[in-house]
Amino acid sequence: MNDDPLAAYLNDVAGGDRAAFGALYSAASAKLFGVCLRILNNRAEAEEALQEVFTRVWINAGRFDADRARAMTWLIAIARNHCIDRVRARRDDILPDDTGDPFARMPDPAPGAEARAMAQSEARRISECFDTLEPARAEAVRGAYLEGLSYADLAKRHAIPLNTVRTWLRRGLLRLKECLES
Amino acid sequence: MTTPQSHIPEGGDDLLAAEYVLGVLPLPERLAVEARLRDDPAFAERVAAWSGHLSSLDADFPEVPAPDLLPQIEARLFGRADPAGQRASGRRGLGRRWFLAGGGAIAAAAAVGVFLTRPGKPQLLMAEIAAQDGALIFQARYDPGTGIATITRTRGQAPGDAHDYELWIIHPGQVPSPAGLVSAPTRRLTLPKLAAGDTLAVSLEPAGGSPNGKPTQVLGAGVLSLA
Repeated sequence: MNDDPLAAYLNDVAGGDRAAFGALYSAASAKLFGVCLRILNNRAEAEEALQEVFTRVWINAGRFDADRARAMTWLIAIARNHCIDRVRARRDDILPDDTGDPFARMPDPAPGAEARAMAQSEARRISECFDTLEPARAEAVRGAYLEGLSYADLAKRHAIPLNTVRTWLRRGLLRLKECLES
Repeated sequence: MTTPQSHIPEGGDDLLAAEYVLGVLPLPERLAVEARLRDDPAFAERVAAWSGHLSSLDADFPEVPAPDLLPQIEARLFGRADPAGQRASGRRGLGRRWFLAGGGAIAAAAAVGVFLTRPGKPQLLMAEIAAQDGALIFQARYDPGTGIATITRTRGQAPGDAHDYELWIIHPGQVPSPAGLVSAPTRRLTLPKLAAGDTLAVSLEPAGGSPNGKPTQVLGAGVLSLA
């Protein structure tokens, strides 16, 4: 994809090109480090996570499909998935059962080629739909996505009883979905 | 089809997909969703749709210059503290400087040398295959002379009746190839030729192994190095 230089790097990485891997690191590490820092809120852990993320990128690069997603979207999804797994394991203080740490097994972010072409209008649309949410709920959705907040965190931050916070957020998500589909 | 989240209210699947993408689920539910993603394509589509919707928030992640962790990452992937590997790593500046310094032949010999063993008994290769959180660890020993690998689970539980652990070989830059089930506490497998720098990985699979020749859910990976 000529409008997605990172996708070209990823294709080369899938073919075992270490120079392309280095170039990808130079081009994408700042954004992905930003993701890790924002979610983990700890520099040392974010550095560890970033290493893991790029390790997964090398191993999974062959699964990237430029017709289905932009490269940065795919990379960020890997970083978010990994950091959220870390933060959940940490906060919930529960060892995952024998399934251990799942590896970047995310579905393709956008099904179908047309979704890619529509990415721009989709971004506008979702921003309009966010505006239809009650501000606290919109803030909660953003906080969860960008900072990796759990339901317990959201309950605390928005002063909502823990036993109703899920219903509260789900109402916002339902509203978002209705708006996106209308 | 299994529906682990039976307590989820009406319209639950789509909202569950949204919650998964948002990341708000506690770890056990998160893992249950991931297990379901593997064999429920309709549900996977919902997750993909929400990923698409919410990815417009990605613009709000800041860019923060990261330290150069590439050497550590390459060491994890291609072999630890391996100067030959660094030279062969495609970081062209370094490689060319070596070459221009007249060290080309020497560098090439060194790069090959790391994969060779002294005459006589071949040296064992070892790898530790650990899940990120350390909850599951396998030790792998590979004898290049006989081609026999011993894979021992030193931490973590058996995969359960419905699943198997499967071993994968990943030569640098290539896609994983299946190498056998390692659900038993210790397994001996005859493997194709492996060298230091090759990666072994373990995945969680439906009982019987990967249905499509690709790892379903990689749990951990480790790079082979000389024992």
